[in-house]
Parts: sequence; C-alpha cells; structure tokens
Amino acid sequence: MSDQVLCVRGLRKSYQSGDRRIEVLSGVDLEIPAGESISVRGESGSGKSTLLNLLAGLDVKDAGEISWAGSKGLRAGGRAAFLGMVFQAFYLIPELDARANVLMAARMLGTPGAAARARADALLARVGLGERTGHLPSQLSGGERQRVAVARALMNRPRLLLADEPTGNLDERTGAAVIDLLLELCVETNTALVLVTHNAAHAARTGRSFLLQNGLLKPI
Amino acid sequence: MPWPLYLALKQLFPSGRRFPFFTAISVLGVALGVALLIVVMSVMGGFEFKIRQMIVETEGEVQVKAQGFVEDYPAVVKRIDEVPGVEAATPYAGGAVMIEFNGKPAFPLIRGLDLATVGKVTQLASYVVAGSFDDLDDDSVILGSEVARMIGATVGDKIEIYSPLLIEKLKHDEIFLPREVRVAGILEIGHQQLDKSTIYSTLRLAQDLYGLGGDVHGIDVRMKPGVNEDDGAARINAVLPAGLRAFSWMDSFSDFLWVLALEKNMIFFLLLFIVIVAAFSVTSSLLISVVRKTREIGLLGALGGRPLHVAACFCAQGVFIGVLGTAFGLGLGFAALAVRNDVVLGLARITQRQEVLERFYQFSELPAHTSAGDVALIIGLTVVISTLAGLLPAWRAARLKPVEALRSE
Repeated sequence: MSDQVLCVRGLRKSYQSGDRRIEVLSGVDLEIPAGESISVRGESGSGKSTLLNLLAGLDVKDAGEISWAGSKGLRAGGRAAFLGMVFQAFYLIPELDARANVLMAARMLGTPGAAARARADALLARVGLGERTGHLPSQLSGGERQRVAVARALMNRPRLLLADEPTGNLDERTGAAVIDLLLELCVETNTALVLVTHNAAHAARTGRSFLLQNGLLKPI
Repeated sequence: MPWPLYLALKQLFPSGRRFPFFTAISVLGVALGVALLIVVMSVMGGFEFKIRQMIVETEGEVQVKAQGFVEDYPAVVKRIDEVPGVEAATPYAGGAVMIEFNGKPAFPLIRGLDLATVGKVTQLASYVVAGSFDDLDDDSVILGSEVARMIGATVGDKIEIYSPLLIEKLKHDEIFLPREVRVAGILEIGHQQLDKSTIYSTLRLAQDLYGLGGDVHGIDVRMKPGVNEDDGAARINAVLPAGLRAFSWMDSFSDFLWVLALEKNMIFFLLLFIVIVAAFSVTSSLLISVVRKTREIGLLGALGGRPLHVAACFCAQGVFIGVLGTAFGLGLGFAALAVRNDVVLGLARITQRQEVLERFYQFSELPAHTSAGDVALIIGLTVVISTLAGLLPAWRAARLKPVEALRSE
C-alpha cells in the first residue's frame, strides 16, 4: 500500500440544512497510486467539491479514513508540499504577475530562491506562457489564467493534484487544451490527478472514471 | 522574505500600478497626524527651550536668594565658587524703579550687575542690539528694547531714575533728587515681558538707588556643562550661611514649568486622536479588503497558508502603513517647521497683526525645539496604533475557513 498516494475508506460527510441532515458522502472508498489520473463526475450538488475539499484536507470528515501517502493527517504546511489544487475560478492573486503567482506556492514552503524562480519560468514556458511571465492576471485570457494556475499547482512537485472543474469557465477548445496540459504534466511528473468535471469527454481521458451518486463513488 | 510580508507589500503596492490609491490615502492620513504632532510638540518644546535659555542666559542656572539682603556677599560668592560643579557666581541687586525721559515715564525693574563677574554667568552682552555692554558704568544704564521704545530713548540719551528710596527720604523730609544716567545701550532678549520690564545697571548704581550699602539681593550661579541644576543647588545649599537658599531655575519656575508641561501633554493627547482616527480609517479599509479578498484568503489556506500567517499578512499591512505614514509625517512635519516663521509672519503681515503676535506670544519668532524623546514617543505610538489597526482585519481574515472562503460569492 505504500505506493498509494491517496487511500480513502468509508468516507462520510453530512450537512445540517434546517431540520434535515443531508448526507453528501455515504461511505466513499478510493485508492490512487502515483501517476494515475481519475475523474469524478456527478450532478450539481452531488458532493464532488465536498469530496475534493476532504481529499485536500480543507474540510472535516464525519467518519471514515483518508490516508495521504500513508499519513493520516495533512497539516497546512504539509499540504503545500504534498498537493496542488486547480479551481474553476482560477483564483490567481490579482496584485501578482504570472511568475509571482506561480512562485507563491514556493513561498508557502519558504523556498522562493533562484532555483524556484527558474522552475517557475520553466513551468510557465511548459504551459505556453514563457513570454508572459511578467503579465498580471488582468492582462491574461481565461485559458491563460488557468494555465498559470496549473503551473502554480505543480510548482512544489506535488504527489497529488486536485482539479475542481478546471474547464468550467473556459470555452470548449481552451478547456480541452487545459485538460491536455494537465494530463501531460501529471504523466511527466508522475503526479496523481483527481479531476472533478461535468464534461464526459474530459472525464474519459483519465485512467479511471467515477460517478458520484447518492453519496457513493461508482466506477463508470 | 516570509510570504505574509511579501504579499502584504504586494497588496499595498501592486505590480504595474503607479499610484496605489488605498495605500496613498491611508499613509497620508497617518502622515498628517504625525506631521501635526511633530509641529505642535516642537513648537511647544521651542517655547519651553527658549524660556529655559532666556532664564539661564540672563540669570544663570542656580539663583541664591536671601530673606532680606545678602551681607558680605564676596565671602558668600567665594564659598559658592568653591562648590564642585560651579563655573562662576555673580551678585545682583535691584527692584522696581521709575524712569522718565522727555516727560514719558516707565516703571521697569532695575537689575544691578557686577561687571567683573556677570559675563562669566550670563550672556546678557550678546543680547545688546544698540550701544555696547562695555560702555556700562555707574552713570549709565542699558534699557530693555521695549522700555526704550515706550519712553522714546536711544543710546546717548539721558534719563532720570527714581527709586523707592526717594519715598523713604520724603517721609523724613529729606530731599532726594532723581539720578540722571546715560543710556549706554539697548538690549533685546526676544521675550516681550522681559524686554519691556527690565533695565540693567552696575551693581553699585543699584545699591545706591536702593540704599543697600555693600549688600546685594541675591547671587546668580552658572554650573559647569553637564552638571544637573538640582544637584548643583543642593550642593550650594550645603555651604550657604543661614538665611540664604539656592534654587535651581527649575525650582524657581516650577509652577510655570508644570503648567507648560501639562499644556504640552494635553495637546499631545488630543492630537494623538488624529492618528487614532487615521488608524480607524486604515482598519475600515483593511476590513473592506478582507471582504473583497475572501476567495484569495481561501486560496491562501488551500495553498497551505496557516491562519496565523494569513493574519500576519493583514496585520503587516497596518504596520507598513504606520511606518510609511510616520516617515512621511516626520518629513512633512520637519518641512513645516523649517518654514514656520515665514508662514506665521506671512499670515501676520496679511492680517496686519505682527505686533499683536509679538505682544501675546512674547517671542519675535515662533520657536521650535524637537526633543528626541518626543520624536521617539510619536514614532512608537503611531506604529503601535497602526499595528493595532491591522489586528481586527487580521483576526477576521484568520477566522475564514478556506472551504467557505472559496465558496463565497
């Protein structure tokens, strides 16, 4: 089991909504080895983002176990080193240019030195933004912003990449290009990928696909 | 540089923007408060410094006073001169007199000086603006500038002096003629009250006018540089004969100095509210920033930022605004101090109230003396208040849960 980047057993999560308690996850089991990509689809409100937040250690589970490379806990500092996240809304810091946004991930680890700057430039070049490292997010298109976000997510050489509908704000062509990039980079860097998406075509390109329905993950 | 500080600087001075409006307004608010504090505290300090300087330069740092007269003053002066820390001592005599010139009377105080020693204790000679201190003899006086103006006398004129001894003589049906003396010089200290109420003579002339014989009214003492005036006064008291007592200039003017200090402290306290109000505006702006950047704060958490670091990022913005505001405020304050006299005199000229200004404020120039202690206090308090201004937004930011922050609309 030591080659498992992520191991989830019987994961449960519910929310209180007025008098009702809504169970969003009712016992999710999942294992992802290094370098594998999986996709999770499901209807809106099915719990995809909740699952991703739990996998990122940002939310608290009701029951079950999550193990990150054998470790039962993921502290804030450890999260920066272990996993990267890509969001639908990009979430770039508007005051920082593309390079500084990517470097921000390294700053979180306290390693923003020359090597990190070189890696940030290399990653931006790899995502096709080598000429735009000094541009602010407001000067970039949606697809370009998402590529900066992908570069930032990979900056610290994470073992796990969590992508929450990364193409949701992009047109089909640009979205497809971003998915290509994500998959290529994960293969290149042997990074495990969990891709949450509505898009069946994008989901089909990952190694395994799951449908989140009634609180359970079902292989498609 | 730790990322909270880096991000705080970037949020205050975003890349690619020449004029960060929020930062400029916040810094300016703090700077204006600091500048006002510096100007007002320096002017208040200037009044205090000028008064100290005038007292010390005209009367020495320690004054020995008698309940009646100082008898055998040369022996007392000799004793005082031998006290460790004493630079020199000089006797004086004098009191109220009436003077008259061309039918115009005035009622100043006369101060009789021992010409052999007065130069070692006071710097009166440096205040002479017409004539010469060296021309002063037993048949002449030096007039305060306002006294001279009131009676219309100038150097070389002859004036008449009537002393209280005249009344005593008249009681005994004796004839006592006023003393006619020459004006040897005009002296201007710069303090209206002193310049319009004092004339200076030799010790012998003052002794004659008051019928003191060989006695004097008191002795002024100058201490060596660095010697504490209170310690000096205590040491002198230990060698003085009964009936004499030494007071430091601070003792002699303790009530006045207390009022001055109280005034200064009250003004400082009230003006500090300007900085506090500026700090509230910083808090308000940073709170808006926290709300506006909720998703970014969530992102920082998702990237691995700890709540304490997120808090530090916003708190640091308060500190930076405080430090920059203080630096600009100091510059602004000192620049305003440099042109203070031009501004005040310009305003006085425009309103044609120059004389009124001198009459009420006693000084021909607006004095300023900035003490290092005042500057340190202003810097310290401003930075602390600005840091506190960042705490509430920092606390709000630190409390945001990444999941909820990322979901926020």
